[in-house]
Amino acid sequence: MMPTVRAIGWCLFLLALWEALARISPDTVLVSSPSAIAAYVAENMGLLARATAETSVNAMWGFVWGNLGAVLLGVTMILVPRSQRTLSALALLVFCVPLIASGPILRVLFGTGTGPQVMLGALAVYYTTLLTFLIGLRSVSQNWTDLMRIYGRGALSTLIRVRARASLPYLFVGLQISAPAAFLGAMIGEFTGAERGLGVLTLRAMRGLDTDATWTLAVVAACVAMAAYSVIGWVGERAVGYKPVILLSAPASSVPTASWMRLAELGFIAVLVLALWQSSMDAFDLNRFFAKRPGDVWAFLMEPQNRDTLFSALAETLSFAAPGYIAGLAVGAGLAALLVLSPSLSGAAMPVAVALRAVPIITTAPLLVLAFGRGLVGTMVVVAVMIFFPTFVACQQGLRQTPGQIVDVFKSYGAGRWHLLRAAQVPAMLPAFFASARMAVPAALLAVTTVEWLATGKGIGLLMAMTASTSDYNMLWSCVAVLALVATAAYGMVAMMERAVLRIYASEQVV
Amino acid sequence: MPSVDIHCVDVSKRFGATEVVAPLSITLEAGQTTALVGPSGCGKSTLLRMIAGLEDPDTGEIRLGDEAPQAVARRGGLAMAFQDPSLLPWRSVRANIALGAELARKPGGDVDALIDLVGLGGFADHRPAELSGGMRQRAAIARSLISAPDVLLLDEPFGAVDAMTRRRLNAELPPLWRSRGATVVLITHSVEEAVLLSDRVLVLSSRPARVVADIPVDLSGTRDARLLETPDAMAVSRQVFAALEAA
Repeated sequence: MMPTVRAIGWCLFLLALWEALARISPDTVLVSSPSAIAAYVAENMGLLARATAETSVNAMWGFVWGNLGAVLLGVTMILVPRSQRTLSALALLVFCVPLIASGPILRVLFGTGTGPQVMLGALAVYYTTLLTFLIGLRSVSQNWTDLMRIYGRGALSTLIRVRARASLPYLFVGLQISAPAAFLGAMIGEFTGAERGLGVLTLRAMRGLDTDATWTLAVVAACVAMAAYSVIGWVGERAVGYKPVILLSAPASSVPTASWMRLAELGFIAVLVLALWQSSMDAFDLNRFFAKRPGDVWAFLMEPQNRDTLFSALAETLSFAAPGYIAGLAVGAGLAALLVLSPSLSGAAMPVAVALRAVPIITTAPLLVLAFGRGLVGTMVVVAVMIFFPTFVACQQGLRQTPGQIVDVFKSYGAGRWHLLRAAQVPAMLPAFFASARMAVPAALLAVTTVEWLATGKGIGLLMAMTASTSDYNMLWSCVAVLALVATAAYGMVAMMERAVLRIYASEQVV
Repeated sequence: MPSVDIHCVDVSKRFGATEVVAPLSITLEAGQTTALVGPSGCGKSTLLRMIAGLEDPDTGEIRLGDEAPQAVARRGGLAMAFQDPSLLPWRSVRANIALGAELARKPGGDVDALIDLVGLGGFADHRPAELSGGMRQRAAIARSLISAPDVLLLDEPFGAVDAMTRRRLNAELPPLWRSRGATVVLITHSVEEAVLLSDRVLVLSSRPARVVADIPVDLSGTRDARLLETPDAMAVSRQVFAALEAA
């Protein structure tokens, strides 16, 4: 009972503080007070309820399809080990395309309706679920798989009797993370040209510089996403009893050692992707006017003028994304390391950070841009905030992985806190840090392109927004292809650094 | 109940540069219990895993009767108890034991009688996490017995069991697998246990494993702790110890 009372007390205190700050703030265009938000909700109850229902239903279908896809992919990868490397490369590539770039493409392919919202919701969730589910499927001891073989049972029987049940706690962690992500995906789908939903209202509020509406929509989106996050967490705890700590490690599979083998594999995957692209367009007999094929994009990019436009927009985007990416990682890891020096403070900060991680940060992007401007600082803050929470939470969990016996060794020599932090805890945190640095690459690109599309009117985000409205589909498809390549390459570079560092500090994590 | 003998013909195994089992030929007779003893890390477990079909030998061949180990596995004729109980944490004790019959596609028989026999009566509906280490190991042994296997492989299954329970299981379990005609291979670190439980003791050398002594255990009388104090049994034990020292 006491913790609940205290939590309610804290909430009331924060609300009062917020109200007071909003009242004394000279700039009423920037901050809405809780009372103004409440008033807006009361006035527009019907509209908000309809929009929330619309977005929630789309997000739910995205959640269902995305997670179903992740489970099917995971099961296939376990049952057919030979498919693992190709499937994980394809899954990663699709995950690396920023949602705001796939949005307009899906819009032209699906036309009007809820297809793109649902599909983007699915795309927003499948990769994290796939990773957590695979970790779960592999979390079985060798004796269990030996036991199955002793009775002459194969991979399918092992999957059904052992792996499926063993993966459940992990799957629930994935499902929990994916609830807010599905909501985010659905909203981005609405940004790219829907008729109804919270995303549409957000666009309208921003264009009309309606501060109260912008704040209200951000708060509503955050509340719905966090509610879904809590409900799934509660169900998971009821169903399986505990929550494993998961570092989102890359799907483990043996890497061919010879460099020509790796090149050949890369070439194979590239050809496969192009063939899938071409054949899926042909199979549905999609109109060449909006459904461009690899050849169209190649021809378009061969024109120097087109190339210059695209690459200068891309350069601008990357120059905004990189500082935000680095700042988000640095602040997240730095704060986690500092907080470990004060265990009581860290205990208090953890639940707050876990809760805030569930907020679909992009929905607060309009507020951040209102506050920090449309230039470098505003964009940087959005990217940094997007990356900060997952990094902070993961690094805190990583710091707690420091083996107790090692800590005791340091203490028995009377070593100070800083020494312990530097020599034992930070190295123990590295696997978690790199896992989040890797996952943050697509997140940073999503944040920067979305904020460019929505608010700042710069870079490749703006270029895509313009091409979508001027029906310059060659440029749109080229932007998407180039963004996917850049994101995958950046992800690969971080993954290479990760392997190099982990080989020294956490060799058991390198598979 | 078909009885199955185990033939290892010129079997060897290496992991990377390390030769774990030197070319080795032995025949273990049907319905007999054979104990493998030898220094730690000498390759006993690898030999057992090859008999189970979990590892393929680099050279030579292993036949169980006239079948390959994997074929016996497929018809549910194999069972194994590991050093570690390896129970499924989400299943109750009863369901974990029944898993043995389920996987072997055989009727379960009387699970509850077996639970009583291994001294787990009253714990049938508990989860493994609620049991002590020794109780979990007894459940694992029961799981290996429930399918009435033709070939039963025991990799130090009594290691983690307390002394009193171990003595009781040593007396009660062997009659059970003997009456079913199972061919049993037992790895143990205890010379007394090897003498008490088996019809034959094979002493293996340190890595790579070779057979340095093949000692028959020809003892009359009830196989229980008292037997170990008879002059015949003590003579066999001395023989095994001597071979181990030479290994």
